[in-house]
Amino acid sequence: MNDKWTNRLSEYVDGELDSAETAALEAHLETCGRCYATVGELRLVVARAKSLPDTPPANDLWAGIANEIRRERLPDLRDRRDRLVRRRFSLTVGQLLAASIALMLVSGGGAWLAVRSGRSITPAPSVAAFTGRPRITEVATWSGRTDAAIADLQAALTQNESRLDTGTVRIVRQNLALIDRAIAEARIALQKDPGNAYLNLHLADTMRRKVELLRRVNDMAAARS
Amino acid sequence: MLTTLAAAMLLTLGGAPQRQTDTTIAVPAGASLSVNNFGGGITVHGWTENRVKVHGETGRRGRVEVSMVGNTVVVKTGSREGAPSVIDLDISVPQSMGLTLNGTYADITVDGVQGAISAETVNGEINVRGGKGIVTLHSIQGGVTLADASGRIEVNSVNENVELSNVSGEIKVETTNGEVMLTGIQSSSVDAGTINGDVTYDGTVNDGGSYSFGSHNGDISVSIPERANVTITAATANGDIDASFPLPMTGSTGKHRKTFKIGSGSARMELESFQGDIEMRRPQEMRDRIDRKHKEHGAHENENDNDTSFSFHVDVNDAATYAARYAQAYAPKYAKTYAPVYARSYARAYSRAYRGAHADTTTH
Repeated sequence: MNDKWTNRLSEYVDGELDSAETAALEAHLETCGRCYATVGELRLVVARAKSLPDTPPANDLWAGIANEIRRERLPDLRDRRDRLVRRRFSLTVGQLLAASIALMLVSGGGAWLAVRSGRSITPAPSVAAFTGRPRITEVATWSGRTDAAIADLQAALTQNESRLDTGTVRIVRQNLALIDRAIAEARIALQKDPGNAYLNLHLADTMRRKVELLRRVNDMAAARS
Repeated sequence: MLTTLAAAMLLTLGGAPQRQTDTTIAVPAGASLSVNNFGGGITVHGWTENRVKVHGETGRRGRVEVSMVGNTVVVKTGSREGAPSVIDLDISVPQSMGLTLNGTYADITVDGVQGAISAETVNGEINVRGGKGIVTLHSIQGGVTLADASGRIEVNSVNENVELSNVSGEIKVETTNGEVMLTGIQSSSVDAGTINGDVTYDGTVNDGGSYSFGSHNGDISVSIPERANVTITAATANGDIDASFPLPMTGSTGKHRKTFKIGSGSARMELESFQGDIEMRRPQEMRDRIDRKHKEHGAHENENDNDTSFSFHVDVNDAATYAARYAQAYAPKYAKTYAPVYARSYARAYSRAYRGAHADTTTH
């Protein structure tokens, strides 16, 4: 799965390799579809991260996110912490997935906090608010945190659904069940093939969809209070 | 500035009291429109005049309020008493006007507007032709279609299909239980997905572009122009990957994730389906297929129409049988449309009636 360049790709994207290393890596990219795809992913994530507004979340979520990222950090990278701190967007593949999910959870968590506090949430017209599908995949240790976020949003929905009519609630519940079934199928497939990159990615994306749907419905309920 | 051309006019249509209101407001350049209508319809047309004309059709208790707040024409609907009324709004606006349209049980239709559009409804369809800039369309229980738009496009439904045609710009499309159909797309950035439905893409594949299509339970079908420069990653857990042209594979992760590089490979395309197949076709082949699909869909609808008309040629002695058939054909459609709209008002009316009857009984 990994080659000697895997952990150098973020340095390449950041332009931190010297010219010889850059030339060697670019030659490698000509023949390695996986690294080529990963470089594309890294560039997308960096572009997406740079395009995000610099507004802190309503709740201080970063400490928890940082702890999770630290927990997943590979042992051989610990002695390079100063470099990771210095580089704003230099992340390993596993960290990238965690960061991608974390961005999503900040979004979902923010909505939930606002609903809980009774504030009306106006759906942002910006496309930037529409979190894209997570793209990089490794071992899916992040799913527990996503489960927790989903549980919070579902609890909020239970509180808020009286603001919606029963027909809408029924449709939403049916669609949540549809997503749950997809999540379950992806998890079963992952148990049989834990290293499957696509399945990890698909599970992450399907869980993101559930977070997005719950967040939308909670927003809608709040707007109709 | 505000000139009300005509107030309310009472009509009787089939015994149901109906009011019509017309209000016209002259608007400065750059003005926007904000509409909030609980139930009924919101229809907006672009016209060449610098005025906004609001035509409302309401029930006896319905009310349409039109006001100018800052640079925004605000249209609100309500009810003089009791449950919200069903109100149909037909609004003409300058073509460049930005729109914010919100409904709950409302169908939303926009035609001929070239400004930014934000439309959201809970239970209703959204059909938009036109739009420029940021265009966001959201429905929970209705299908969404968008045509002839450009800009940053975000369209989603939950329980129905989403269809875009002749749209350009940055495109993000999602539904949960429905199909995604994208045709005539010109874009360097497309992200489209569903859980339960097919995803079809017929459009440009630009150098350096990013394209992502995903489904859990459906097939992914995309057109790849002959001169495209694209790296395609196709992944499926339980389906097949197929192309109608030779594809140079550059990498494979397991049995079901493959990477192909066409030309310089500068664009990136991800095709993912858990249960379904992944198909890559040439544009003409894809268009032929889409045309066939539309024809089949039309024929199916005609078939349904024929089924219902057949019931008119029956022996009256079998009326019950045919009534049941007719009800079976139409009940889901009408129940879906009208039940949510009328449930509250009927519940209120009947509860009053029963309270009255109960009071009469207890008095005597």
